[in-house]
Amino acid sequence: MEKKNILNINDLSISFGKNEVIHNISYNLNSNEILGIVGESGSGKSVSSLAILGLLPKHISKITSGRILYNEIDLTVLPNKSFQNIRGNKIAMIFQEPMSSLNPSMTCGKQVQEILLQHTKLSKNEAKEETLLLFEKVKLPDIKHTYDKYPHEISGGQKQRVMIAMAIACKPDILIADEPTTALDVTVQKDIIELLKKLQIDTKMSIIFITHDLSLISEIADRILVMYKGDIVEAGLATSIFKNPQHNYTKALINSRPTLDTRLKTLPTIQDFLNNTTSNEVITTQQRKKNHEILYNTTPLLEVINVEKEYISKSGWFTKPNTFKAVNNISFKLYERETLGLVGESGCGKSTLGNAILQLDKATTGQILYKGIDITKLSKKDTRKLRKDIQIIFQDPYSSLNPRIPVGEAIMEPMKVHKLYKSDIKRKEKVIDILNRVGLSEDYFNRYPHEFSGGQRQRIGIARTIALQPKLIVCDESVSALDISIQAQVLNLLNELKVAFGFTYIFISHDLAVVKYMSDQLLVMNKGKIEELDDADIIYNHPKKDYTKKLIQAIPKGL
Amino acid sequence: MSHKSNSLKQLALQKFKRNFWGVFSFYFIVLVGVISVFAYVLAPDNSQYANQMHLAIHSKKPGFKVQMLIMPSQLKTNQGVFDKIFFGKKNVNTEIPISEYRIENSILTYKEYASDGLKGTEKTIKTDLLLNHSPKDFIKEKSFLFGTDKYGRDLLSRVLVGARISFFIGFVAVFISLVIGIFMGSLAGYFGGKVDAVIMWIINVTWSIPTLLLVIAITLALGKGFWQVFIAVGLTMWVEVARVVRGQIISAKEMQYVTAARALGFNDFRIITKHILPNIMAPVIVISAANFAAAILIESGLSFLGIGAQPPMASWGAMIKDHYNYIILGKPYLAIIPGLCIMSLVMAFMLIGDALRDALDVKS
Repeated sequence: MEKKNILNINDLSISFGKNEVIHNISYNLNSNEILGIVGESGSGKSVSSLAILGLLPKHISKITSGRILYNEIDLTVLPNKSFQNIRGNKIAMIFQEPMSSLNPSMTCGKQVQEILLQHTKLSKNEAKEETLLLFEKVKLPDIKHTYDKYPHEISGGQKQRVMIAMAIACKPDILIADEPTTALDVTVQKDIIELLKKLQIDTKMSIIFITHDLSLISEIADRILVMYKGDIVEAGLATSIFKNPQHNYTKALINSRPTLDTRLKTLPTIQDFLNNTTSNEVITTQQRKKNHEILYNTTPLLEVINVEKEYISKSGWFTKPNTFKAVNNISFKLYERETLGLVGESGCGKSTLGNAILQLDKATTGQILYKGIDITKLSKKDTRKLRKDIQIIFQDPYSSLNPRIPVGEAIMEPMKVHKLYKSDIKRKEKVIDILNRVGLSEDYFNRYPHEFSGGQRQRIGIARTIALQPKLIVCDESVSALDISIQAQVLNLLNELKVAFGFTYIFISHDLAVVKYMSDQLLVMNKGKIEELDDADIIYNHPKKDYTKKLIQAIPKGL
Repeated sequence: MSHKSNSLKQLALQKFKRNFWGVFSFYFIVLVGVISVFAYVLAPDNSQYANQMHLAIHSKKPGFKVQMLIMPSQLKTNQGVFDKIFFGKKNVNTEIPISEYRIENSILTYKEYASDGLKGTEKTIKTDLLLNHSPKDFIKEKSFLFGTDKYGRDLLSRVLVGARISFFIGFVAVFISLVIGIFMGSLAGYFGGKVDAVIMWIINVTWSIPTLLLVIAITLALGKGFWQVFIAVGLTMWVEVARVVRGQIISAKEMQYVTAARALGFNDFRIITKHILPNIMAPVIVISAANFAAAILIESGLSFLGIGAQPPMASWGAMIKDHYNYIILGKPYLAIIPGLCIMSLVMAFMLIGDALRDALDVKS
């Protein structure tokens, strides 16, 4: 097949204020290929692609040098007016968040039709025909109905399909997909990836696929660029990058994600690769078995018996209220020093179950026994006391810390409330101790949360949680919002703390690979019910239910 | 070595400092504040409420000058120094504007001042005063920088003393509105459900009553007077604060750090006061600045209608009311000067509110 160079980026540098975020990058895109750009948040992968479309925020950013050539036209100097003919028409884009990139007050069909009317000379009826064809192409179910549906009436995956339909409506030469599947469940992600691949083959357009997930990109892309702090550190064919990475950063990116077949004692981080201190110590099956024998001979720390959580939605005054069981008849036992993994797609009720155990959201029926006491029946005062023992680590490190309280005080506050230690001086010593424990220095005591990076904030959140010396910690998607290399660090930290303090974890995540790495027992949830509950390795190697099989299959495994 | 840490508050302050009109308004407000506190020290007429009348020289132009015969008061009072400085002299000398005088044998003959080409009457008095003092001590030329009002009082002094009312009503009304508004808003927003429904009812009912009518009703119930007005205005303003606080709390409640605080076993009071309120203060501060301005306007409106501060108390609104009919009689300055004062103070609060809103909006 003949390959033509259609997009050429030469020596591009972009600055935000005085801060250069892209340093002289050059790459080109051929026709009829999928180019993957991979990197962590802040690596500049999105910024460089926004520049192609001329969508950089006007006042704060500037292209300081370089050219972007699309079919011999320099896009960096193109006036806004002529850009409109290219944007959406020749170069289209799909965004990460399908929930917010569709207009909620317009039907899906109308939104696609609007683009066609804007860029082509089709009549209204022809545009509608064309829209229905497009919907069929992106495999939306029941296209006639979906045409008249509003965005809130369809699922996230379907919304992303509508977005793709919009993007390919004008048969663009280039499609830029910026993390198009990050907000979606793994099974949906798989479908979307397959769809994009098929569309690419059918239409012979070029796709720039931006993601942070290297194994995902290796499944779809022909060529890959690895970006790190505004530089392209490695570029090449997908197979060569994945099989034979040259740069330390790429190596770290590939290896810091927990693998599915072996269980490393500690995950390698970027720092390890830079210092060449990676250890390949593996926890063998025998070690695991021995450990479990000791574990399961104790009395359970937490026992969840037939717990249900029902939500009632009232739609009208005279209609019957709709009930929806977010958690349906769940029972399990949790032993001290064990890690229970809880995995499932979004909306399966895994967080609701976590909140019920934490007593943040009371269960409708059922018992939760903690050390033999039913905690669902405790008074408000006793519940507050119980909080010392059962703690949570949150998903979003940005919103889980109060922005107006310095981190030292934030960690100290729970100690004060629960009257741990005698004086503030003692408490402060302890806080500094904990800060050191989670890998932060004591200089950070008086700093505010907004001065930290995401990974550091997650450490602070963990520090605040362990300040109370809890027994049981619920990790609710605690690493989902973090970059892969930081994720590895936090997972290592969690495992380290578990050994040091004897914590028991309930590890909730949608990411099966991470959950499998962390857990002893694994609980697969679907639509509020338990699908499967067994040892993590057993479930992964011999899944019994179809749902579990589907889930395992959908994990991008790379090449 | 020591890292200087920037709290969000400090960042906001830095941003505020860069806003010229915000800083300018801030200093203007501080200036008015100082003036209102030390009004009696600064005012030429330091009698209580700047109420020294000279009917003969009523409604004169700014910069008017006249000779004044000052006769010390015969009454003795024991008013403290602080009382004098902050509330004005209760016992004042008698002042008589005169056009000419002569002294013969300890008898003082003077001609009273008369305007518009009229002739003043001649009067004589015999006092001991003349024995011990030279005439210069009790006959002085007085100038009225802003002219005189319709009772011949010094307009400048009254404007200065009047600043007090405007300033205090702002403070008291905003304080009352904040106390009630934050309390009610927090309860409604944080607990939701029935508590919210009840409080929202109260808010909606209070809101549906026209502000001015409510204030009139309250002043009628509590009696006329300026304290009543303070309270009445405060009671009408809490509604907006409560609504803002409620809305903010409902969204702040969903933040993970609030859930974190709950999970850490903090009680509701601690969560509201330490974790929610500090994070929602920005819009509350902004609305307080606007309320401050609105309170000043309502007070002047009420004074204009005659149910605000009662004479002889000086208030900008009342001064306009006293003199608005002079506007068409060729002496507009009597009403325009207090009008400009109200406008500039209100405007300063509006500008500072705007600047604060921009400054407090620190997201990154």
